[in-house]
Amino acid sequence: MNEKKKVPQSSEDLFQFIDSNSISSEKIVAPRYSYWKSVFRVFFRKKINIFLIAAFVFILLVAFIMPNFWKYDPNENVTNAATFNLSPAKALKYFNNGAFSLKWCLGTGALGNSIFYGIVASSQTSLLLAIICAAINMSIGIVIGAVWGYSKKLDAVMLVIYNIIANVPYILLISVLVYVIGSGFWSFIFALTVTGWLGIAYFFRTQVMVIRDREYSLASRCLGTPVNRVISKNILPFLTSVIVTLLATELPSYINMEVFLSYIGVGLSATVPTLGRMIQQGQTAFMTFPHAFWPPVAVASAITIILYLLGQNLADASDPRTHM
Amino acid sequence: MKKYMFKRILFSIFSLLVVVMLVMLLVYSLIERNVIFQQDDVWNKRNNNDRRMYEYAQFQKYGYLNYVDYTSFLREKYMSKYGESYDKEADFATDRGVIQKPDDVWQNPTVQEFKAKYEAQGYKLDYMEPVRYKSGKLKAGGNGYLVAVQEKSVVLRLWDYMKNFFTIETSKDVDDPNLTERYVHFEKDPYSGLFALTGSGTTHKYLLYFDSRFPFIHQNFLRLNLGTSYTTYRGSEITQVISSPTGVAEKVRQQYPAMVGTDEYVETAIDFHSVTYNPNTSEAELAQFGDNYSSYTTRKTGLSMLETSFIIGIISLIIAYSLGLPLGILVARRKDKLADKLGNAYIIFIMAVPSLAYIFLFAAIGTTLFNLPYKFANSTNKALAFVLPVISLALPQIGSLMKWMRRYMIDQMNSDYVKFARAEGLSEKEIYRIHISRNALIYLVHGIPSSILFCLTGAIMTERVYGVPGVGNLLTTAINKHDNGIIVACTVFYTSLSILAVILGDVLLAKYDPRISLSSEGGGGR
Repeated sequence: MNEKKKVPQSSEDLFQFIDSNSISSEKIVAPRYSYWKSVFRVFFRKKINIFLIAAFVFILLVAFIMPNFWKYDPNENVTNAATFNLSPAKALKYFNNGAFSLKWCLGTGALGNSIFYGIVASSQTSLLLAIICAAINMSIGIVIGAVWGYSKKLDAVMLVIYNIIANVPYILLISVLVYVIGSGFWSFIFALTVTGWLGIAYFFRTQVMVIRDREYSLASRCLGTPVNRVISKNILPFLTSVIVTLLATELPSYINMEVFLSYIGVGLSATVPTLGRMIQQGQTAFMTFPHAFWPPVAVASAITIILYLLGQNLADASDPRTHM
Repeated sequence: MKKYMFKRILFSIFSLLVVVMLVMLLVYSLIERNVIFQQDDVWNKRNNNDRRMYEYAQFQKYGYLNYVDYTSFLREKYMSKYGESYDKEADFATDRGVIQKPDDVWQNPTVQEFKAKYEAQGYKLDYMEPVRYKSGKLKAGGNGYLVAVQEKSVVLRLWDYMKNFFTIETSKDVDDPNLTERYVHFEKDPYSGLFALTGSGTTHKYLLYFDSRFPFIHQNFLRLNLGTSYTTYRGSEITQVISSPTGVAEKVRQQYPAMVGTDEYVETAIDFHSVTYNPNTSEAELAQFGDNYSSYTTRKTGLSMLETSFIIGIISLIIAYSLGLPLGILVARRKDKLADKLGNAYIIFIMAVPSLAYIFLFAAIGTTLFNLPYKFANSTNKALAFVLPVISLALPQIGSLMKWMRRYMIDQMNSDYVKFARAEGLSEKEIYRIHISRNALIYLVHGIPSSILFCLTGAIMTERVYGVPGVGNLLTTAINKHDNGIIVACTVFYTSLSILAVILGDVLLAKYDPRISLSSEGGGGR
């Protein structure tokens, strides 16, 4: 107060006394912070993400709506050998007198099937497969991984199970399962998910173990926070960006896995159109008829790259350290 | 530490056994066993009981069951009673003929003896009545048979498998009373000029020897039997299949054992180090080989399946580490600059694009722009044929090494010790070379043994695309052909490698980073 009296007279007019307000002094003034709002703010700060989302929505719409109008029948020209392996120009000439048509704009495959319609129908299968498998594996894997990482008793048991199951060659497991329960869409998903969650759970276990022994978590436990609250409030929020990173690699990995399994002959049944089968059929003659090979490869790559980039960027944005 | 390793190894063996048991359950119990006859011409040609007998024989060969045919039981019984000419005796003929008479068969005392003997051992009898036309004439393949069948349980199957896993050769192996000299000792090897461990009475003559072929030192005294192939490589042991050289016979100017010491030489492809004991050695062979060790394999020009895969794998691994690590350091140092963006684009391409897609992309670029051979088998220059597979394997590994190296480098760059080093006045080059990269490498050291060991399993896709005669597709072809022997063998091989890789990785990690102790029981952390 003494200092205030030393202020020169001239500037006294510039200042004013304000009454102290006991109510507002109770409030801690800080900028309002909402986690998810900040995530999206950081996410949309990168302009490429808007483009990626637009592309992904476009692919989703085409893959899920258009097959209803463009019925894909791989055997429609199977009796007409003149239609086999036509390059785009020849196919347009043969079917449409040289005029442009979407159906034949990518030529025909080894059995006279339309490659464009095939790709659209296959993208639907691949996307569905990736989304469902990722959803199942991620949710089971994260829940079990969280408990596994938290409980030391469970850890010993689960490690034995993990060491054993992880060593059974997964190609063998999938092909035996496909053989036993059939190679339909849902059987295939079962084969991919029956042990698929184990790897995710193991990865997640390690992450949880690191966070579990951090000081703040220890303090919370000392204060008597129940286990489920420690897991859901102390540990899981910290791992959101890890979960999203995992999702970014998991989603494309199922599309790649399907391509790989089709290539080695352990794929979905022949009635379900998939990108893997189209690539597999195209690769046998990829030097002579490249038009049947590269388009499905390009679409599969485009889908996986978009998913991967979206996931990575969302993971970056969901790390609170980037919210400054 | 010793106690810890002992416990680890014991546990590893246990989990290996469980894995093998699980796989046996999968392939022997879950898969319908009749699929093995799907493409079997012999099965298609046989009818009625003959077909069933063929099925029993095949099932036994594939390891599903054990069975004893009544006829062979009879033969053994009467052979011991009458000697060689047992089949001319009257009671043998009655006992054999009774099988064709369904009404009398169970009254026959020999059949009853057969039944009592095998039912006591847990076998089940399967009597196949003769199949006749109404006229009484036998249908094709309609002969009656009596067999005792024992289904193999998983435990029995595992025991049978483990029993034959290792065989050690001793001088008592050869069962030949005429062989008087039995020994195992070191002596001078006339073929290499060095010494060799040789044996008499052992199956192989040369138990340990040197020659000019990779890996230069070879042994025959310990044999690992991973299992037998049923369909893909009919009846061969898998260890032999993957390790014996392929290609055409290679003739070399050399001497038969009997010629050693003379000036006589012959052009022959015989590999004299491979000779094994042959009890029926002819006089002529005896004159050439000097003893009964006269069965041999020939020298081949080509590599074995395992060598082919390993060479491709190890070259691409060396390329990957020598390019991936420096590139990872480079992009980390140039974070958010052009080099980093280019590196990131490459990493994303490798991580996201299906591996099949880029393998074909490399194949297309290599064959059209650089005129490299595409299919392995068609290429005249064998060395050039390795180029594309090596590149296709190395490029993705470079991507993933770059990714992790960059990630760990960036994590380390913000550490306190880096700030301290900078405050001390160290140059950026020193900080990166001595401090950051060495600490970032800690995370990558663990994976080195596994990437070396897994070169031995080959690469499935690369080998398929380029038609490489390697081991990568052993498992996938075996699954398609229901070759249970190879499936189990591959599982044992892969599992042992991965267990070994983890143990070696841990040891290497503890050696590289002295802060890490394997045996202590820490609270949290990894």
